[in-house]
Amino acid sequence: MAEHAGVYLRLAAASVRATARRPAYLVVRFLSAGMIVGIEVAGVVLMLDRFGSIGGWRPAEVVVLFGLAFTAQGLALVFGDTLEADKVSELVRRGTFDQVLTRPTSPLGWVVASYVDTRFVGRMLAGAVTVAWAADRAGVAWTPGRAGLAALAVACAATIIFGVLLAAAGFTFVTVQGSEAVNVLIYGGQYLASYPMQIYGSALRFVFVWVIPIGLAIYVPALGVLGRQGPAGLPGWLAWLSAPVAGAFAALGGLAWRAGIRHYVGTGS
Amino acid sequence: MRAYLALLRAGFQRQTSYRLALAAGLLTNAFFGVVRTAVFYALYRERDQVAGLDVADALTYVWVLEGLFAVVWAPWFWELAEAIRSGEFVAELLRPGDPYLRLLAFDLGRTLSVLVTRTVPTLTVAALLLPLRLPATLGGLALLGASLVLAAVVSFQLRFLFGSAAFWTPDYRSLFMLVFPVLWLLSGFVVPVDFFPGPLRALVDWSPLIPLLMAPVRVATGAAGPALATQVAWVALLWLGGRAVLALASRRLVVHGG
Repeated sequence: MAEHAGVYLRLAAASVRATARRPAYLVVRFLSAGMIVGIEVAGVVLMLDRFGSIGGWRPAEVVVLFGLAFTAQGLALVFGDTLEADKVSELVRRGTFDQVLTRPTSPLGWVVASYVDTRFVGRMLAGAVTVAWAADRAGVAWTPGRAGLAALAVACAATIIFGVLLAAAGFTFVTVQGSEAVNVLIYGGQYLASYPMQIYGSALRFVFVWVIPIGLAIYVPALGVLGRQGPAGLPGWLAWLSAPVAGAFAALGGLAWRAGIRHYVGTGS
Repeated sequence: MRAYLALLRAGFQRQTSYRLALAAGLLTNAFFGVVRTAVFYALYRERDQVAGLDVADALTYVWVLEGLFAVVWAPWFWELAEAIRSGEFVAELLRPGDPYLRLLAFDLGRTLSVLVTRTVPTLTVAALLLPLRLPATLGGLALLGASLVLAAVVSFQLRFLFGSAAFWTPDYRSLFMLVFPVLWLLSGFVVPVDFFPGPLRALVDWSPLIPLLMAPVRVATGAAGPALATQVAWVALLWLGGRAVLALASRRLVVHGG
């Protein structure tokens, strides 16, 4: 796949240029995505300020989690938006995927690069702004180590969400119709990881730390960024684990994607 | 009248036939509901009442929200606008009877199906497992039912107005994208409007967004009278508004293509 990197970049650039033919549309999509992040954060701040704290965390500290989760989700969807159930379903039903398979590129590379939605660039940037703003309010003294941890959180969580999208796309190749249920992980996972993990019951915590480790990826590095101690069972050194865990998770997603393609039979259209 | 009832039935059946989407929707509502429930339990651990809400009120808000989500943000949100843009909507104007009522009847059929298959089961299960604050009398439950149906009506009326933008511009989606974040917050889908600062809350209380979610929550938690009155008033106002827009739009409708 790597040897074709130039091709994918050109494909992606072409899709951005196509949207940029209508600059107003591009700007609106970008702005609206950023506004959604801003509005969600504003609402949560209004609520948390009334209560003062949640699970021992101050509002600004929670908002750092919100920012990290939004950034990671935006990053994952900049690449993986075309893997969502409705889009893969259309690819299969229209027979477009037959053509993709005959091309001398990797199918994954083509699908990912075929369309870049600027909405998610807006989401990602608004998430990053949120992290910076909230970290300032929470009194975080940025050091290279802390910035590195924040970047690690975003990269790992994005990798995990991308893995979920890969697996879901593989599933859609087989069922054609696909299921919106995967949104529970992509949007629900982001929402869940936006609050400190100690507020959840042990079952929910276990699933989102160890099975779909988006909680591990956001929460544990955030402990380091905020200079906090984790609850029992979630020590700060686990941050070192999140990169290999995220990598392994995405690899599993890749296997599911391959299995899906192997079972792909087209729709005859 | 019989024709409208038939449309209502057709809408109901159409929506009920999406079984897989229903299962995925219930799962999504359950998941977000569980997370939001955990958030409120954690918030109220050291507090009894905040901004007039206690934990039972907050949990009721959570599950009414999850139940009404697909009613307010209906998956078929853009069908009307797309029909207007493609020109199919002309057929709607040629049919006998009143177009606004026909659209309402069909839409209400679909939202009633969502109420029966999603809202009621979600609320029932949540009420069995969690200390929600729901009416304990049959009369109270009937009022809650009426409030949920009124929320569905207002949701159609607002979606109709947003869809009608397609009469004037093909960029109706861009327009909506810019207002959506604000609607999302002010309708109470991010946090209950009770947590807003005083002036903002007062403003929102007078907006047509209240009947969508906060009014049913208030009916459920005990303040039925004023909440229902607000809903009825908005149904009437939006009825006039919707009809005015339709009358204006039909006069300037341009149909592209052949």
